[in-house]
Amino acid sequence: MSIWEEIKNTLNNFPIKSSYQINRMRPPGSCDEEMFMKLCVRCARCVEACPYRVLRRSSATKNGEIGTPYIYADIAGCQLCMKCTSVCPTGAIDSSTVEMQQVAIGVARINEDTCMNYLYSKVESGEIEATGSMALCNSCLNSCPLREEAIYLKDGIIPTITEKCTGCGLCVERCPIKPVKAIAVIPKGMPDAETAGYFHYLKRLGK
Amino acid sequence: MQKLRKIFQFIFLAPLFIVPILNLLEIYFIKGTYISLDVGGLSISDPVAVLQALFISHSVRPIMLASIAIPAIIVVFFGRVWCSWACPYYLMLDGFEKLRKKLKLKPLKPKYNPEIKRKANISRLGIFITGLIIVGILGIPLMYLISPPSIMSSQAVLLIKYAYITAEFILLPVLVIIEFFFGYRIWCRYICPTGTCLSLMQSKFSMYVEYSGDCSKCQKCIHVCPMILDPKTDSLSSACNNCGECISACPDNKKRPTLYFKSH
Ligand code: SF4
Ligand code: SF4
Ligand code: SF4
Ligand code: SF4
Ligand code: SF4
Repeated sequence: MSIWEEIKNTLNNFPIKSSYQINRMRPPGSCDEEMFMKLCVRCARCVEACPYRVLRRSSATKNGEIGTPYIYADIAGCQLCMKCTSVCPTGAIDSSTVEMQQVAIGVARINEDTCMNYLYSKVESGEIEATGSMALCNSCLNSCPLREEAIYLKDGIIPTITEKCTGCGLCVERCPIKPVKAIAVIPKGMPDAETAGYFHYLKRLGK
Repeated sequence: MQKLRKIFQFIFLAPLFIVPILNLLEIYFIKGTYISLDVGGLSISDPVAVLQALFISHSVRPIMLASIAIPAIIVVFFGRVWCSWACPYYLMLDGFEKLRKKLKLKPLKPKYNPEIKRKANISRLGIFITGLIIVGILGIPLMYLISPPSIMSSQAVLLIKYAYITAEFILLPVLVIIEFFFGYRIWCRYICPTGTCLSLMQSKFSMYVEYSGDCSKCQKCIHVCPMILDPKTDSLSSACNNCGECISACPDNKKRPTLYFKSH
């Protein structure tokens, strides 16, 4: 690409106000990404309010997100304690979010090719050969604060996520699959497959 | 009075470290940073930050206005007192000046001269306006990136609570080196958007330094003024932060009020 084209591209995509990354969510009750970037004055009050130390201040400068708060689900999921929602001085986080059922900061998706339970069921149905010892995991089910509502075991074996999922990321935190977890949270508003990683699962599921 | 000012400065320095520590102890009475502090449910925010958010988002939320009410009232009645009585950066600069004296280094302070004063005013305003334009184009309230008190307090929170710091921290060591070795209160006189914004919010009700019009012309007040002003004539200048150094230094004040704070 020539330098001119590069400049043109940069200018055309300017200003970029929303960048998304899987397993990286805004705090509960946040307004949509573009508005959030405009409203958040990077005061770190919410970061300070979080008693579980899961809300972190971003250091990334790529799209001006430096200083804004994120929950990084691979490190730790949000406990939905709602301490952070009442402290925002500009309304970037809506203080009327008080119940965990109100939260919708993302939605979890399971990678069917690496999840232990999926593999177990596939082996059982003869779809694939077992290559080592097999086990059922259920960690995501057990860690979910809305257990049986946001996530349940279909046929007693396949973890299935419903639209009640808040996107807290606790399941991601607990999933034992390494190095890439078998479950991931797609943050609210994340646009398309290229930037979305697991996003295509959503499409496949017709959502 | 200067003792009182020092006490205030240290009182305001305390939240920097005490707030995050109290937080770790699960005491939430006072929380936040110098961008926005919350004392018992009362919200106090940096007007620069909140005004940026307000203009960019085109939405006025009661919560925003409520949080800048207290700083606005303070500025309207007392002028730019935040700088000299509270800002942790200013306290640090006071410290540097003392330390340089102790180390017997040559003082960096320039001699008073109206030209310096004019340049400083133009530079501060220019940077503030340029900053607003950039912020407006980007549509992100990023002015905090050049606000040392904001950076200091947000980084203190991170350091104490999470033991890491974020990229904006880099400004601090750079400034420390400049202010200690190369210049005299460069940031506050030539750049700081917070100070500029506060000075723009001053009104004719604000407290200022009044000169009786007649004194023994010892020029001690000019010598002590940290903002390189002539207190006798420039007390309404946007640079004066009502520190009162000139008032404390004035020998004529012992005989009759010569330099003193006045509210309208
Ligand atoms: S809801 Fe609680 S755990 Fe989740 S980010 Fe907010 S303060 Fe932290
Ligand atoms: S409290 Fe609000 S303005 Fe402050 S960092 Fe959090 S989201 Fe941003
Ligand atoms: S925690 Fe991970 S491996 Fe275990 S069932 Fe859930 S998605 Fe599968
Ligand atoms: S000008 Fe800025 S850095 Fe200097 S004392 Fe005032 S607020 Fe603090
Ligand atoms: S004029 Fe007096 S009060 Fe104002 S900054 Fe100078 S010394 Fe301080």
